[in-house]
Amino acid sequence: MAEPNQLPPGWEAHWDQTHQRFLYVDRESGQQQWEHPLENQPQLAFAQERQAPVANTKRRQYAVDQAAAYSEPVAQYADSSYPPQNIQQPVTPGYPQTFTPGEPQQQSYYQEQQQQYPAQPAYGAGQLADQFSGLGIGGQKPLALHSVNLLTTPPNPLELLAPPPPIRLPPGASILDSPLANADPSYMRCTVGAIPKTAALRTKSKVPLALVLSPNRSLGATEPPVPVVTDTVIARCRRCRTFINPFVQFVDGGSRWKCCVCNMNNEVPQLFDWDSVNNVQADRWSRPELSNGVVEFIAPTEYMVRPPAPLTYVFLVDVSHSAVQSGMLAAACRTILENLDRIPNEEARTKIAIIGFDVALYFFTLLADATEPSMLVVSDVDDVFLPQPSDILVNLTEARAALEALLAKLPSFFAESQTIGSALGPALQAGFKLISNTGGKMVVLTASLPTLGVGALKAREDVKLLGTPKESTLLQAGDTFYKTFAIECSRATVSVDMFLFATTYQDVASLSCLPHYTSGSTFYYPGFNAARVEDVKTFVHEFGEFLASPVGLEVLTRIRASTGLHRSSFHGNFFLRSTDLLAMSALPQDHSYVIELEIEETINAPYVVFQCSNLYTTAFGERRIRVTTLALPTTSNISEIYASADQVAIAAYLANKAVERTLTHKLEDARDMVTKVVTDLLNAYKETVTSAGGQLAIAHNLQMLPLLALGLLKHVALRPSAQIPSDLRAYAHTLFTTLPVQRLIPYLHPTFYALHNMPPECGTIGEHGVILPPALPLSSEYLERHGLYLMEDGLTIFLWVGRDAVPQLMMDVFDLPAYDALRGGKYTLPLLENAFSQRVNAVIGKIREMRRGVYYPPLYVVKDDGEPSLRMWALSTLIQDRGDQTPSYQQWLGQLRDKIASTGY
Amino acid sequence: MGGEGWLFLFAVLMAAALLFTSVFFIIMFSDLECDYMNPIDLCNKLNQFVVPENLAHAFLCLLFLLSFQWTALLINAPLLAYNVNKVVITKTHTFDATEIFRTLPQHKKESFIRLGFYLLSFFYYLYRMIVALISESE
Repeated sequence: MAEPNQLPPGWEAHWDQTHQRFLYVDRESGQQQWEHPLENQPQLAFAQERQAPVANTKRRQYAVDQAAAYSEPVAQYADSSYPPQNIQQPVTPGYPQTFTPGEPQQQSYYQEQQQQYPAQPAYGAGQLADQFSGLGIGGQKPLALHSVNLLTTPPNPLELLAPPPPIRLPPGASILDSPLANADPSYMRCTVGAIPKTAALRTKSKVPLALVLSPNRSLGATEPPVPVVTDTVIARCRRCRTFINPFVQFVDGGSRWKCCVCNMNNEVPQLFDWDSVNNVQADRWSRPELSNGVVEFIAPTEYMVRPPAPLTYVFLVDVSHSAVQSGMLAAACRTILENLDRIPNEEARTKIAIIGFDVALYFFTLLADATEPSMLVVSDVDDVFLPQPSDILVNLTEARAALEALLAKLPSFFAESQTIGSALGPALQAGFKLISNTGGKMVVLTASLPTLGVGALKAREDVKLLGTPKESTLLQAGDTFYKTFAIECSRATVSVDMFLFATTYQDVASLSCLPHYTSGSTFYYPGFNAARVEDVKTFVHEFGEFLASPVGLEVLTRIRASTGLHRSSFHGNFFLRSTDLLAMSALPQDHSYVIELEIEETINAPYVVFQCSNLYTTAFGERRIRVTTLALPTTSNISEIYASADQVAIAAYLANKAVERTLTHKLEDARDMVTKVVTDLLNAYKETVTSAGGQLAIAHNLQMLPLLALGLLKHVALRPSAQIPSDLRAYAHTLFTTLPVQRLIPYLHPTFYALHNMPPECGTIGEHGVILPPALPLSSEYLERHGLYLMEDGLTIFLWVGRDAVPQLMMDVFDLPAYDALRGGKYTLPLLENAFSQRVNAVIGKIREMRRGVYYPPLYVVKDDGEPSLRMWALSTLIQDRGDQTPSYQQWLGQLRDKIASTGY
Repeated sequence: MGGEGWLFLFAVLMAAALLFTSVFFIIMFSDLECDYMNPIDLCNKLNQFVVPENLAHAFLCLLFLLSFQWTALLINAPLLAYNVNKVVITKTHTFDATEIFRTLPQHKKESFIRLGFYLLSFFYYLYRMIVALISESE
């Protein structure tokens, strides 16, 4: 791989943290590309390469040489005519690789900014778009629209990592020209980078219009924190209540400001230019809310209906036979015990209660001075009451000793339990009684289907229904309790989180309703068994991170948008309390929300503004408002809509929409909807932009959309099949509606690496952490019999071992003499004293920690000739292949082309 | 005044009452849209009226059946069938606060159709009542 310093004149290399590779920028033309400019020489046609992989003897070196060629791939690549990029980076000749961001002037500004804000890793290198957007430099060229023919352009996984097309705001849109004026795409992004001025234009272009936002996303270690306005001077529009932001204008000599959402003129607050700490006149332009798209205000008392509530956790732990037998109880208690210090508790206000349940409820009194907890049993589950008004919910700091003693002993209390059954509903009611006046979080850990009292569910899964139109009834709540109780919780700002462990049917669809309407999270560990160290590791990591994450409480979220834009539909975990007010009981980290937009009237303004405000109580008892602002230009030019469309955001929209469609209609309708959106888009593009026959054209920045849609159709959440348990489908649906795009995209379009011949620098620590191998297209054509491959979708990692794997490889990676000695299934890879093992472990470690969210994907070793179901599962990640009832990528494109040809209007 | 006159007088009053419930529903839905009311209170309130409204309509149909008023029964049969399907068979008659914003256009449409139906049937019953009274007085 060429060094970045050996560049031709005029080129610059930028390290991109998210993608772990250099982005090469030509200062003259502004062209950006991933591959080294010197390597970008005429390459072998991709199709040729695909047809005759066997002819490439270098790539089969492993099998031929029987030597540890993989450990010395330097030589292999030095003389190879197939540098790794060529394989996974097909280049259409004469076609620019990425967008052309514009003038050299901008480039140099961008580079400065790049140095000034080096540590802002964001999904899709969002800072690019962000920084361009804030420039407001006049005389911009419109975004160039490049068409690609999908039939001849193989999908390139790297495209998914590219930043969304830059946002070209008109000059002077933001008052300070700050590079951070627009929120980073990881906070808020739109399916288009230029909003159509009229509804007719939107309909004509067929590009869906939606916002994808993740206001409380986690920050990496190197990222700067969100700026906080501490002086409680909050300037808001009198009419539409929009918060002051970088896109307002000051008028009347700076004494008034014009709202960018409703054009109202407002007084600037008196203390706006006053430094209240030093009591001196302050510089208005240094206020963070005028230069930052994401900013946090400390709210004054007007924003509180009551004093900020302390963080309150009620753990509802299943202590029935199945929970004890699977080891869930012990693992859960141990994790809580070990993470007591990580639960946010800076002000020593955090409160905790632990309630056990099987067919009865078990309360524990935790006295500050007693180390011996006492248990109170309530066996009347029809009329739940609290056996004692106090000492059940206790302060974490004060009752620490009692809590520790309880958590250590709890598993042994129930070790001999033979009770089968679960009174989850009554337990929830009891927990609710405990915290209904302050709000807080209820964390449910259960390994059984609720069978007793309110909310009892039936094992309603009928294999005869799977794969039929009736299947979607299994994906809806089975009992109204889970909706009515969720609303009650939402009113009392109680948030419910579910950790589910059952080995048999657990009705995830019903249980996940509670987190859905109360802004909680659902975690599902099917077939959890604590005897398997991998199961425990995954759960302990995720539960631990969950407990440690700084959570917001008592949340009210409002989405505002410029006049003419209507927020028509909302997706995510919350309760919709009014047309634009989302009531969230908690503000979990790294949850994503999708908001559909409609153009109600013609927009005349040159740009529009979207603002999301979250009023919440921090874990340390402070009332804050997080304001996320995104400004987008408007356009009446259809090609600009296409050129600025964001395929990643569209895929997130499709996933959310498909879940909604499944629940209200049928799975079949959801699949049809996805197909229709893609077909309509391709058709509209053909009608308005290109007219050449025989091809399937789409804008360059949308070229992965058909594959993402195919990934969606082949996903376990939507795939037509009579074998997928409804629990797995329901869990995939909850993930679709909550995962941040950075995780959702690999969930739809997994990543595929070849490890046995990865370049030598991969798996070593580079300038910015572990370097990952180049991603391969998702096709089994790339699987060779002697190879070691890794497929991952962000929630599961598969290590594929070819049947002709050489003993040296087996020795180096698994510490086993031969392929036959290897056992498939969940696996903990040993860390051995050789470079290759360490590199493979480093790559796996990197995959586990590089994305947002608490997930810790388990590793499965898949043998080429191993257990068929596991093998099928691993192969299902290769979405370009033909599936059981699903087409291959080429067939899918053929279907799309035929559909467009047949509609031909 | 004979049986038929009394029957249609009663029917006129019933239709007027049903008319008012429909108007009430529509007003409530607009209140929700304008943010004067939250969805939880709205659903709690409206759900109290759904079953009584349907029962009242069913009772009216029963009266028509018992008095062999085939035309009036025939007019009401489609709505009766629709109500029975909704309340008894699929049990989807209650308003769901979690879904209300998504289903609001549907509910409004349904309320408007009901309003129109009750209005027409109101005038029909009135006409039948007058006809019955005239035929009696002759």
